[in-house]
Amino acid sequence: MVEGHVTISNLEKVYESGEERTKAIDDLSLEVPSGQFLSVVGPSGCGKSTLLYLIAGFLEESTGTIAVDDEPINGPGTDRGVVFQDYALFPWRTVMGNVTYGLEQDGVPKEQRQATAQEFIDMMDLDGFEDKYPKELSGGMKQRVALARTLAYDPKILLMDEPFGALDQPLRELLQDHLLEIWGDLGKTVIFITHDVEEAVYLSERVMVMTRHPGTKKTTVDIDVDRTQPREDIIMSDEYTDVKNQVWQSLREETQPEAQL
Amino acid sequence: MSYADFQFGALEETLPAPLQRVVWFVFEWIPLVIVAGFWEFASGTFVPSTVLSPPSEVAFVTWELLVAGDIIPHLQVSLFRVAAGLVLSISIGVLLGVGMARVKPVENFFEVFLALIYPIPKSALVPLAILWLGTGTETSVLIVFLACLLPIVLNSYNAAQNVDQNLIWSAQMMGMPSWQIPLKVVIPATIPSILTGIRQAIPIAFIALVSAELIASNQGVGFEILRYSQVGAYTEMFAVLVLISAIAFFAVRGYEWGERKVVRWT
Repeated sequence: MVEGHVTISNLEKVYESGEERTKAIDDLSLEVPSGQFLSVVGPSGCGKSTLLYLIAGFLEESTGTIAVDDEPINGPGTDRGVVFQDYALFPWRTVMGNVTYGLEQDGVPKEQRQATAQEFIDMMDLDGFEDKYPKELSGGMKQRVALARTLAYDPKILLMDEPFGALDQPLRELLQDHLLEIWGDLGKTVIFITHDVEEAVYLSERVMVMTRHPGTKKTTVDIDVDRTQPREDIIMSDEYTDVKNQVWQSLREETQPEAQL
Repeated sequence: MSYADFQFGALEETLPAPLQRVVWFVFEWIPLVIVAGFWEFASGTFVPSTVLSPPSEVAFVTWELLVAGDIIPHLQVSLFRVAAGLVLSISIGVLLGVGMARVKPVENFFEVFLALIYPIPKSALVPLAILWLGTGTETSVLIVFLACLLPIVLNSYNAAQNVDQNLIWSAQMMGMPSWQIPLKVVIPATIPSILTGIRQAIPIAFIALVSAELIASNQGVGFEILRYSQVGAYTEMFAVLVLISAIAFFAVRGYEWGERKVVRWT
């Protein structure tokens, strides 16, 4: 797997509205090797989501470049798939209709795209719900549909914007483990935005901590834990606790700059 | 939601579903029955029945008009005018609303016209419409069209302006070219509001129809109201009012029922 390598160089994003110029991202450089699971944590308003939408190509960078496999990006593309916090499912389409959407755009014949979609529907434990509309589903199920929809058209890079932020703890843990399983199977590059240190450290191989406004890379921390263990063992392990505290401390310096740490 | 639904919600919840409907229905119509009762009593006692016909008589005459068929051709003409006006206003209104929301020059061009037309009662345009189109069906259709246009344009305009950006981005990331976004994302996302606009437009269509037919027609239910009142047949006049009100009521209810059946996803 040599695809899905993200290179961000000297990225800067300035929002302009009238006379006002707000710098959201300042001189951020980052390398995400293909297949890596990287989480991004930072104080609220630090531009984490802006960064994700820049990589997705929804927003345009002010200066600097973003490249995927050494090719500078030009707007949204099917090599990158976003999973939104509010799911962003098409309410007028069924579960099946949502999951086949990307394949339909790609001109895949109907039977084939339904077969592919069914694979991902089954993978997300959604079988039996193919003909339901989003409004008939719970939040956790909607997020699974959203994930299936993004996985179905096989992007090299998954960009996830606090995807489990609106879900309760048990459901969140369930989906986290599900995501790790899929990531292990499919080997995609993942850039995962969250405000939850626990989530970031549990899921990722590497965590980037961002500075306060304007956001830039403060540090990246490698998470070196044995992921073959069950969740309880990982969470109890010393390596995990140490590295989690390290990320937490680094983030706390940004959220509470007055508190002398 | 009607007043009955709100008022008696607690009672309803304790009953099984089919009974709930009966209760809902009964409570919805009780106020009408009470008022009709007082009206029946007042007519001929406090008020001369020549001025205020009793509801029993109005109901009977309504039935007669329908059975004898005197009113049927007028109903046909009127319903055609309402339908034509609505269809025109929906097809033009949705395009205009979505166009204004997504294309700046379209918005700039039409905004001022809508703002100017909005406060004018559409019935005030009837004399002008007669001058241009005469006293036939065209005038009534034009008035219905103009009256219904605004709720439909405004509802679709607001909704198309506020389409969830993430939906548009979702479509784009899955490879949809930008030029298809209005048709394949903006319009479907706007459908719930378009349907609301249509529902608001149905009663407005009947208001506009009658106000046009009162002046500019020699056919239709509005014309019949005027004719009966001029010959002093007040019970018949009441009967036509009852018919219009009932038809508009069932048009809205029928529309809502159809909407639930057809558009399951909203």
